[in-house]
Amino acid sequence: MSKILVVADHKDGEVRKPTLELLSHTRGAGLSTDALLIGQNVKGLADTLAGHGAGTVYVADDASLQYFSADTYAAAVADAAAKAQATQIWISVSETGKALGPTVAGRMDAAFVGDAQGLEIEGDNVTVLRPAMATKVMQKVRFAKAGVKVITVRSGAFDVQPADAKPANVVALPAPNSNGRVVVKSLEQEESGEIDLGDANIVVSVGRGVKGPDGVELVRPLAKRLGAGFGASRAVVDSGWMPYNAQVGQTGRVVTPDVYFAIGVSGAIQHLAGMSGSKLIVAVNKDPDAPIFSVADYGIVGDLFKVVPLLIEEVGKVKK
Amino acid sequence: MNILVPVKSVIDVELNIRVRDGRVVEDGMNYVLNKWDENAVEAALVLKESQGGEVTVVTVGPDRSGEALRKTLAMGADKAVHVNDPATEGSDAHGFAKILAKVAARGAYDLIITGKQAQDTDMGGTGPLLAAMLDLPLVAGVIAIEPQGAGKLGIRRLGQFGTEVIELALPALITASDSLNEPRLASLRGIMQAKKKPMEVLKVADLGLSAGDVGSAGARIQVVEYLPPPARSAGKKFEGDEAETTAQVMNLLTNEAKIFA
Ligand SMILES: Cc1cc2nc3c(=O)[nH]c(=O)nc-3n(C[C@H](O)[C@H](O)[C@H](O)COP(=O)(O)OP(=O)(O)OC[C@H]3O[C@@H](n4cnc5c(N)ncnc54)[C@H](O)[C@@H]3O)c2cc1C
Repeated sequence: MSKILVVADHKDGEVRKPTLELLSHTRGAGLSTDALLIGQNVKGLADTLAGHGAGTVYVADDASLQYFSADTYAAAVADAAAKAQATQIWISVSETGKALGPTVAGRMDAAFVGDAQGLEIEGDNVTVLRPAMATKVMQKVRFAKAGVKVITVRSGAFDVQPADAKPANVVALPAPNSNGRVVVKSLEQEESGEIDLGDANIVVSVGRGVKGPDGVELVRPLAKRLGAGFGASRAVVDSGWMPYNAQVGQTGRVVTPDVYFAIGVSGAIQHLAGMSGSKLIVAVNKDPDAPIFSVADYGIVGDLFKVVPLLIEEVGKVKK
Repeated sequence: MNILVPVKSVIDVELNIRVRDGRVVEDGMNYVLNKWDENAVEAALVLKESQGGEVTVVTVGPDRSGEALRKTLAMGADKAVHVNDPATEGSDAHGFAKILAKVAARGAYDLIITGKQAQDTDMGGTGPLLAAMLDLPLVAGVIAIEPQGAGKLGIRRLGQFGTEVIELALPALITASDSLNEPRLASLRGIMQAKKKPMEVLKVADLGLSAGDVGSAGARIQVVEYLPPPARSAGKKFEGDEAETTAQVMNLLTNEAKIFA
């Protein structure tokens, strides 16, 4: 019997969309699925997971789990997977998921595939479609041996379906032994904007072309008016003009919004790998040969210091 | 502090990559040291400079991978291990980690540093799998390292919700982000010295593994097909007076893409 365990991603007391996508998909396909919540004060989210189709919700809720650590979180996943007799473990892609997935696989002696963008599932026969080589190729990957499969899945692979009102069947897990090898002292939160990049329907990103913090502030109101997430290239983040978690690309966040605005971004492959899945791409760059134009649906060749104020004004007219 | 840095020779992804008949066309492709591994080597060298000890680099791969090792030796690594055995061909992250775990067990390393992912697979599996196999604590995607004495490192990791400030007990395994440092270029002197540094060449049998444990035979996952990425072609590009071009694009956003609807 195949059984999927979905490890829930949550923030500020809410289940995040990537998890709802995974549950919506397994429910729609009639795949037997449990879910796992790990963190502090997370019990309350169990009903949401049940409403989206989780049969049993395993909960590891403890002060020691406030911050992510691969060691302790993987122990909780292994515990839940054993109790659920899971044959597949699905984890959404994030800086947490990317470290957690292979750690879980290593501990459970399971197989691992990361960054699934599409899944073909027939029972426990799973084929994964995933990008590789800086998104210059796609790979079809299959599992060669029997055994538990750990898969990290990118957001946007599936749609979220509405929830039923269903109380969760909760199984509480003991807090994993923290052996004190990795101690997270604090979390420096540096929100780049009010809207999480991963949840945003529109993302506005700035590149080195904005030339400094003043340029960043010139563009920020555009993101605000559009109700957009506010991102950046690595050049901007490395210069300290925007926080690390604003970085879009291979080392930063992979985003797939409806509209992506690239302002003064050249379009290096490592940046493209983080945004080329956007539905519509708008680029502003003064260099007509900038690689970003090769993926842009609408491009403006011009000085962003002139274009952006005009865009803000125009957007203000259509968006109150 | 003795540090082991596993590195990989990868297809140069800056080049144009073509897919034919479900395979990547390797003809005329170039192989380079994985970028994130350069960050890992740099971090190891910086730690060695302040803490003393030795930096050992290791790779698993065919003859051409030797070049990646020589590059790291030229940067300043002390010695290299090259697991060069046709049996390793077709290894997945699991297979690589299995081999690397055996190599790690032959020395006494305080720290293992890998790149956060390899540019060919972009999977990021080998480092964490290796940590789990060796039962070492893992911190992935490290952006800063500060030695704290007493077998501890202060680490900053770019986490999902912000920068995690971490105290890590050694021995441990960390994976390097490209934001961690700016890898040094090898000097001419470094390149000359590298030629005299020890490079040990091993077969999997030397590590107590059999051919069936590694390579395609031992792989748990298999790439059955390569495909070109979804086509994304250039759209409409407007040049000229900014007031005009901006108005044109606003018009398209409103009436063609209907993003304000
Ligand atoms: C291993 C690795 C991982 C990486 N990961 C990432 C990643 O996750 N994300 C990422 O973004 N990068 C990443 N990079 C870096 C990447 O290769 C590029 O260096 C980076 O994306 C460049 O940022 P940029 O486009 O802002 O700057 P630049 O390449 O300097 O481009 C600036 C652009 O602004 C334009 N410009 C300048 N002035 C104006 C003006 N007045 N008006 C309009 N346009 C103007 C210029 O024409 C130019 O095209 C990575 C690199 C490596 C090696």
